[in-house]
Amino acid sequence: MRKIEVDQLQVVYPNKDGDRVALDGVSLTICDESIALLGPNGAGKSTLMGVLAGTQAPQSGTVLQNEDDGMGVVFQTPALDELLTVRENLELAGALHGMGKDAIQDGIGSLVNKLGLKDRLNQQVRHLSGGLKRRTDVARALLPEPGVLLLDEPTSGLDVEARATLWSALDSIRAASEMSVLYATHLTEEAQRADRVILIANGKIVVDGSPAALTQSLGSHVLRIRTDDAPTVEAWSESIGCPCVSRGNDVLISHANPENAGSCPGDPESVTLAAPTLEDVYLWHARSTFSGGGA
Amino acid sequence: MSGFQAAVALGKRELIRQVRQPSRIVASILTPMLVWAFFVGGFSGAIGQDNTDQNLTAYMIPGVASLTVMFASIFASISLIQDRHDGVLRAALISPAPRWSIVAGKVGAGALVAMLQGLVVLASLPFVGAELSIVGVVGACFGLALISVALIGLGLGLAWIVDSSQGFHGIMNAVLMPMWLTSGAVFPINDAAGWLRMVAMVNPLSWAHSAIRSSLGMTGIEGMPVGLDWIVSVGFAGACVVLAVAVMGQATKRRATLSE
Repeated sequence: MRKIEVDQLQVVYPNKDGDRVALDGVSLTICDESIALLGPNGAGKSTLMGVLAGTQAPQSGTVLQNEDDGMGVVFQTPALDELLTVRENLELAGALHGMGKDAIQDGIGSLVNKLGLKDRLNQQVRHLSGGLKRRTDVARALLPEPGVLLLDEPTSGLDVEARATLWSALDSIRAASEMSVLYATHLTEEAQRADRVILIANGKIVVDGSPAALTQSLGSHVLRIRTDDAPTVEAWSESIGCPCVSRGNDVLISHANPENAGSCPGDPESVTLAAPTLEDVYLWHARSTFSGGGA
Repeated sequence: MSGFQAAVALGKRELIRQVRQPSRIVASILTPMLVWAFFVGGFSGAIGQDNTDQNLTAYMIPGVASLTVMFASIFASISLIQDRHDGVLRAALISPAPRWSIVAGKVGAGALVAMLQGLVVLASLPFVGAELSIVGVVGACFGLALISVALIGLGLGLAWIVDSSQGFHGIMNAVLMPMWLTSGAVFPINDAAGWLRMVAMVNPLSWAHSAIRSSLGMTGIEGMPVGLDWIVSVGFAGACVVLAVAVMGQATKRRATLSE
């Protein structure tokens, strides 16, 4: 079922040195799925999140949302009152969404168990660690049981363990509901968890597909080569009929034949033959289409 | 969606924040009391104690109470800027709660706290020779609440436009301090020079001070119809709240829905 339809979003930030296009004709549909919005810093991810959340108005384009689906939003920085306790913050969120007292208390009871916040309910948010604050913020967004959850770089600033805990909790919550999730990240290992990955750069959608489809687009194997003589390796890649992209001393060759791995010219520093990963997909597009800058 | 429920929840949040930041309350009361002490100490010898219907010490108390309310109101409205930076406001704006409930929560709780702080100052009146009645104190509190509602409404409208706390403070001080100084807070308007009286007459705070003083049995603005000071004060407070709701509503618009 379609939950959100985005059509031709255009957002331009005025700048004295020339207007900066943050979103350039972005269109997408969100159904019952989890989507990772992957892109470098300044790609336009947060701008798109802001427009979807309704905190930012586009210059043109439309966002249509199924009126039966509420939306929960986890911003880059927690939308919590640091002086309030975890419980008080969640009660406020429930009241803002018009929930009854019983529904609020039931929802809090359920969420704090799932997110490991039960022992922190009466603690002021300012005394929580970054990971606990983030989980509290997720609980805030989930309390009204939204049909769509938007997360803007939800693990930014968290250590590895806090990151794993958060994703584990989100996975279990999503498995038990029909909630769609759209999250922005610049980490390929986080994007890998999604049903669908949308790669965005310079305000445009570069590629859109499942992680498996995206990695298969580079063939069954890639060659990652580090060399002082990239032009020679590029020429060799062309001669064997394999597309390549390079930046500096690093060359990435797609659709590689394992038999070619040992015949790379130019005395390379290292040659790695591997099944392509989402990071290869990201690097492939980063080197071939991204030009840097952006929102 | 009940806007009232959201307004009450947001108001409760403001009150909790007040309780957990006692320094805000102390600063709001202490500064005006120091102003009062220095003004009274400095001027009483120079202009005597009998140039008003009350002694100067008592005369200035309602003005000091309104200064307390003014500081508390600035604190209340500047919290909107902090809320924007902390993201709390974004969470409120993406909720289905109506915009007016955000203003109502801030104004309601802020005015309550400001009025109570003003009341603490008014409580010093019996100690400087003024007689108080219950009705007079209730009227004065209502007047202080109207000042607070007006100033928080004005502040919220400004805080929505200005992005920095420093800029907000600068503008609020540039607007509010002259308003307070020319409102009869520290001198009787009826005895002021012609030009200053003119300025005071177009200053809404003067009418609020007049209403408060009248409630406390002091002399308000003379030669005006009875009750005009209350009408002007209520009208000013209402206009400022409408301004805040309008500015906030203009800046945030809701999204269309997908028709299946």
